[in-house]
Amino acid sequence: MDTQVSVILGAFVASGLTLFIFSFLYKDNPFFKIAEHLYMGVGLAWHIQLTIYKVIKPKVWEPLKLAWENGDTFTVWMTIIPAVLGITLVTQFIPKISWISRYGFTFLMGYAAGLALPAGLATDFSNQILGTIEPFANFFSLSPGRMINAVIILIGTVSVLFYFFFSVEHKGVVKKISNFGIYFLMIYFGASFGNTVMARFSLLYGRFDLLVRYSQKEYFYATNWIIVGLLIYFIAEKIVTNKLLKARS
Amino acid sequence: MNIIKKYIPLTIVFIFGIITLASYYVPHRASDEYLEWINKWENIVSAFALFLGMISLFYSHYKKIQRKVDGWGYSLFVYIGFFIIMGAAILSEGDISKEGKLTYLGWSFNNIYNPLSATMFSVLAFFIISTAYRSFKIKSFAAFLLFICGLILMIGNIPLGEIIWDKVFGWTKLTIGEIKDWIISVPSTAGRRGIMIGIAIGAAVTSLKIIFGIERGYMGKE
Amino acid sequence: MKEKLNKILKLDRRYLFVLLTLSIVIPIIKPIGIPSKSISTSTKDTYNFIENLPEGSTIILSLDYDPSTAPELHPMAAAVLKHAFKKNIKVIILTFIAGSGGLIDELVRTIPPQYSKEYGKDYVVLPYMANPLAALTQMASDIHSFYDKDINNKPLKNYEMMKNIKNYKDVAGVIGITGTALLDYWVVYVGDKYGVPILGGVTAISQVGYGPYLQKKQLKGLIGGMKGAAEYENLISQPWKGTSGIDALNIAHILVIVFIIFSNIVLLILKFL
Repeated sequence: MDTQVSVILGAFVASGLTLFIFSFLYKDNPFFKIAEHLYMGVGLAWHIQLTIYKVIKPKVWEPLKLAWENGDTFTVWMTIIPAVLGITLVTQFIPKISWISRYGFTFLMGYAAGLALPAGLATDFSNQILGTIEPFANFFSLSPGRMINAVIILIGTVSVLFYFFFSVEHKGVVKKISNFGIYFLMIYFGASFGNTVMARFSLLYGRFDLLVRYSQKEYFYATNWIIVGLLIYFIAEKIVTNKLLKARS
Repeated sequence: MNIIKKYIPLTIVFIFGIITLASYYVPHRASDEYLEWINKWENIVSAFALFLGMISLFYSHYKKIQRKVDGWGYSLFVYIGFFIIMGAAILSEGDISKEGKLTYLGWSFNNIYNPLSATMFSVLAFFIISTAYRSFKIKSFAAFLLFICGLILMIGNIPLGEIIWDKVFGWTKLTIGEIKDWIISVPSTAGRRGIMIGIAIGAAVTSLKIIFGIERGYMGKE
Repeated sequence: MKEKLNKILKLDRRYLFVLLTLSIVIPIIKPIGIPSKSISTSTKDTYNFIENLPEGSTIILSLDYDPSTAPELHPMAAAVLKHAFKKNIKVIILTFIAGSGGLIDELVRTIPPQYSKEYGKDYVVLPYMANPLAALTQMASDIHSFYDKDINNKPLKNYEMMKNIKNYKDVAGVIGITGTALLDYWVVYVGDKYGVPILGGVTAISQVGYGPYLQKKQLKGLIGGMKGAAEYENLISQPWKGTSGIDALNIAHILVIVFIIFSNIVLLILKFL
């Protein structure tokens, strides 16, 4: 699939699908709807084929086949049991036997809960508390700048925790501290917003870079043809709609 | 019947939850081996969960086509897109490239899946600009603080912003990069840390409730 | 006057979309060419980490992004790889994202020849694995028990650089470049648990959220978004897509700032009219 024809065809398909989705920004139209529905099917198929070829085939089918041939009963069972648990998930759609899906779901939930608990507590709880109070271990040996930073982080973290502590009514001193916590949250959200702008614009840059590349001669001006086609459609649609409105009035 | 429908599943949650929890803290070869097997199991079980999504999507679009609702023709494209990729995957045996050459699946990934996926995400950029003009109303000090931090990050992220800052505020001897670094590493860290600790506590409590069978929403109707 | 101002505020958003499109497309066709001056501390820390590694050290480069986040992450992956090769650091490239295949292929096809690096001696590429948790935990005891073959389906143990690599103890550090939460996995299950230095490259959206990890030194360095990629390219003096990308985004960012300020000024005027 590396021939010149496949490259040019690929350019037309890629720029076409990209521009179909961007056409929604002008107004809703059949091209966008086609691309949108294609995306649903394509996205699902992509993940399904990944699952089949990268998980089920190498981790279920092939080990099972090999273990069966070698008489390795342990591996056979250790492969069949999770496969059966996985199949039980599908019974969710049959109301009479949907209770069978609980076996698959409870395994997943038990595993996820058991894994999340220590990891979250270590990394996102104790290490974060440690990071907040660590600078105070040798506070006076720090530079003035670091001292101020350490105090700001401590005050900020505590006041944000006050904001999220709903077991105590937010009034009086608690309300004042939690309101102060809101300011730190606003700083975090503002910083996130500023970076989100760059992130999204970077993605847009990637798409436009591709469209500009596919507008070149070596790709047979793919982008240009698609844009012209879309323009013709929208102009024709406007003319037809105006004629119909005139005819009605 | 209650034992099979309720108590055995709850026992499964408890056993796997406790053993997985313990394996994190027990520094023994057995823990590593257990984790290896349980990770393989999870991989296999969650792979089947994807088929749930497939059945759900196919069924809803099949109903649309059957009832010939408004726009039912577009539902056909869901199936078309699905079979194009699945066909390419079968022909390519799941490989994107073979011996340095792009396969049908690789071509489909580069020219169908990727443009669709990347463009869907990049459309958000247009809504950011629309929101910035129409909805970003600075009506309180908190909103003003949000705006100022966003402004500093945006200016600090672009070379033109650095030049503008140096020209207007160069006398402060502070570069926009230093201010941006400080915002991310000090006040923003404080805000984020509070959220992280809160989430960690919430996740720990929810995990314990799931392991001990107090939280059973995932099991469906009793 | 009031009506006019209200009309301005309710401007058809399609005009804004056109302005945004032009603000990005024009600099792509005709670059503005303003060099990026500032280097953030976290990017500098990542650079210094590789710069200070002794020659012949081995690092793991986990490239976990697909084409949808490639505009931000691919340039930083290229810059890190170039830097590692320049310093004669050996690299083990792996991935837990199936869609990264083509991008990794592009990197290893174009960059190693520039530094006369040989496959198997200076770098290896490991195959895609669907289960990151299994890989991360297994590599702590024996990398070869999980990755017995490389991406070309050849035994990993036979490669010269892999003969002395058994587990994390033989590796100087891990650099995870990802648009997903995989960097958190590296921090939680490898960095915090086994004390392996973890560094990262993430999208700009995620960058701010890693502040706590950087402050606590759970992350030794972080490259954030396209700006981070441009900064790293500046440090290694090899401008590429990161530099050209951030150059193209200058006007778009200014546009957002101008729109926010303008609309709020109009609102303020309307308030007093």
